[in-house]
Amino acid sequence: MMETTAEYYPLEQPDELTLRQKEDAMGAYLMMFAAIGAGLPLPNINLAAAIIYYYINKSSSRFVRFHSFQALIATIPTTLINAGAMFWTLHIIFGDWHVNSNFKGYIIAAVIANLAYFVIGIIAAMKARKGIYYYYMFFGKIAYQKVFSIKSGDDKKEVPVNLPPNL
Amino acid sequence: MKLSITHQENYSRGELLLRTFFGFIYMTLPHAFLLFFFGMWSAILTFISFWVILFTGRYPESFFEYQVKLIRWNIRLNARRYNLCDGYPSFFIDGADDRTSFNMDYPESLSRGNALLKAFFGWLYCAVPHVFILLFRLFWGAILSFVAWWVVLFSGKYPEGIHEFNVGTLRWTTRLNLYLTYMTDQYPPFSGREETNDGNNS
Repeated sequence: MMETTAEYYPLEQPDELTLRQKEDAMGAYLMMFAAIGAGLPLPNINLAAAIIYYYINKSSSRFVRFHSFQALIATIPTTLINAGAMFWTLHIIFGDWHVNSNFKGYIIAAVIANLAYFVIGIIAAMKARKGIYYYYMFFGKIAYQKVFSIKSGDDKKEVPVNLPPNL
Repeated sequence: MKLSITHQENYSRGELLLRTFFGFIYMTLPHAFLLFFFGMWSAILTFISFWVILFTGRYPESFFEYQVKLIRWNIRLNARRYNLCDGYPSFFIDGADDRTSFNMDYPESLSRGNALLKAFFGWLYCAVPHVFILLFRLFWGAILSFVAWWVVLFSGKYPEGIHEFNVGTLRWTTRLNLYLTYMTDQYPPFSGREETNDGNNS
């Protein structure tokens, strides 16, 4: 327990966060609608938007950074699945590939993955709006490790520049 | 919402000619290229903001700030494109400009019903009537701009009435844009005049 507090920054509590920070954290999850907003049905638009959003908020509070990073890495699997679905579909429409059971199975799996991603994303957005940390399975730990672990260089920055005189 | 473009005492004839013949290459093209990407981001934020307003009744503050800064950039560019002021517009959303200004108070709350109404019928009760009137205004503005161009070329002065008219057109289109992109609930007036503090047009 002692090691945990020594290695990680403390978590902000909901009453310590401003409404703006909560809204910014919520916005990270809503980037899953970016492709619809841009009017381009390309799966990688969501990933690009999540990356841009993360870099915009990189210097923001740890709460916003955590949610932005979690939303970003959680976008990667669905982006890959959707890109695969799109690649396959385009080959069927324009190429000489045919609809088979494998394709149907893949599309059904892609739909389920997207639905799960959507539902979990909405839950995370609502929690973030309330100032609550919501950890995704697997990705939550990575995001926490990335944002909250105290790196060796961080200690140096916290040494105060101004010190009282020697009395 | 406050939008103003400084009416200069004297305008540069050299800059006028430069903008007219080469402005597209050295000014419009580089800005438009960047604005396309920033505009796409703006469209994404607008779409997300609509849903946020629908559920929370608020436009996310950081999104709002981005949109305001992007409008400032557009105004900086358009002011030069329409020869309303001299100088080269600064790049990016944090760019400064002492000849144009655009300010808008952040609305603490927005109507969810109004957002829905705009999303489904905004084009009908707002965009269509405004655009219809604006087409005539833009046509007349183009004629006046042509006249102003010659006046600036020969006298170095931009007629104040024409300047105010063209700034008014920009103000009108900006207000329309603000309303349709959910940034305000105030229906845009059919006027290009500056608003007074009580919300009426001066």
